[in-house]
Amino acid sequence: MTNTDSILDELASEGALPAAGHSLRFVTPLLVALVVCTGIAAAVLDGAFADWESTGPGPISVKWGFSLALVLMAPIALWTLGRPGRKSTWTVAILSIPFLLVLGLLALDLSMNAASFPGETWQQCLTAMAILSPLAFGGAIIAMRALAPTNLKRAGLVAGLFGGGVAMTAYAPFCPERGMLYMAVFYCLPILTMAGLGWLAGPKLLRW
Amino acid sequence: MGRTDDHKPASSGALDRLMAASREGDRKAYRQFLAEASRRIRSMLARKVGADSELEDVLQECLIALHTKRHTLDPGRPVGPWMYAIANYKLIDHWRKRGRSPLVLDDDADMDVAADNFAEMDVEGLLDELPEAQAEAIRLTHIEGLTNREASERIGIGHSAMKLRVHRGMLRLKEIVDEKDQ
Repeated sequence: MTNTDSILDELASEGALPAAGHSLRFVTPLLVALVVCTGIAAAVLDGAFADWESTGPGPISVKWGFSLALVLMAPIALWTLGRPGRKSTWTVAILSIPFLLVLGLLALDLSMNAASFPGETWQQCLTAMAILSPLAFGGAIIAMRALAPTNLKRAGLVAGLFGGGVAMTAYAPFCPERGMLYMAVFYCLPILTMAGLGWLAGPKLLRW
Repeated sequence: MGRTDDHKPASSGALDRLMAASREGDRKAYRQFLAEASRRIRSMLARKVGADSELEDVLQECLIALHTKRHTLDPGRPVGPWMYAIANYKLIDHWRKRGRSPLVLDDDADMDVAADNFAEMDVEGLLDELPEAQAEAIRLTHIEGLTNREASERIGIGHSAMKLRVHRGMLRLKEIVDEKDQ
């Protein structure tokens, strides 16, 4: 009997029924990342929804609309990427839609008015994104270990988008800034930077 | 050498049926599934991996990966794309870990092949069965004892080209010897 035959026997003896709980092992780190980042933002920052009375729900709706779209769509893409043999091109390409919408709104915004830029809190915003994005990115990386990604760069990129999306979701209620230019520069660019880092680090972090 | 798939291939749905039965608790079906997967992956790897010992290493990694990641195959989805995606991933990962190109251009490895396989054989007779360029490369490096660099300088080709000729020649020789043994 060859080594390969004995390995086949050993594997077969364990049966084909998958161990339970792999879905939970995927979802839990993502939820924990969201809760931890939101908790950190709430614990450190003051003045959530401070400008709600003066501006109404518009600004936070746009910010959360964008960030929650990423937070909800990225795990679907990660789930697909973690299943070998599944085509993921469209699932990942769809993640560009929120960015394209921001670009469209930015063009509209710039043509209509010129909001003050960069505002007074951009440094706090960048700091929050720089701290929270890697935390949530780590959660996505841990989640992916429950699956079997075979395109590690693409999986790393989507994990980065999730990380950035979670960071923005957590910080947005504390952000008094308005305007699409601000959103493009201080939210979208950091998110894309995190995605780029994920693309680069994916092959090292996601090997299995 | 196992470089060609001379088994009659099972029907495309055979893997799917075996996996479906396996998931209902039939361990015998799972053993059959793994054996069939092993045969198909071996056939795929044989076209891409040089040495047999290396092929077995990658094959075993693939089989373990199929087993440990079996929860990533959704019920009802075809097994083939899933299985080959994992096998391809493991092959690329193997090459990455090894840090070399897919072809093994290793002088020592080629010398080992000669020592293990061609002892007590009519080497000149075997060399006659090779293309002249490969036979000449092996004569220079394995019979006259020149290094690849010395041999490449003597016949005026690049060092890498010489290594490639020697490598391909040695692989072909091993195939010929294996065919004669069978």
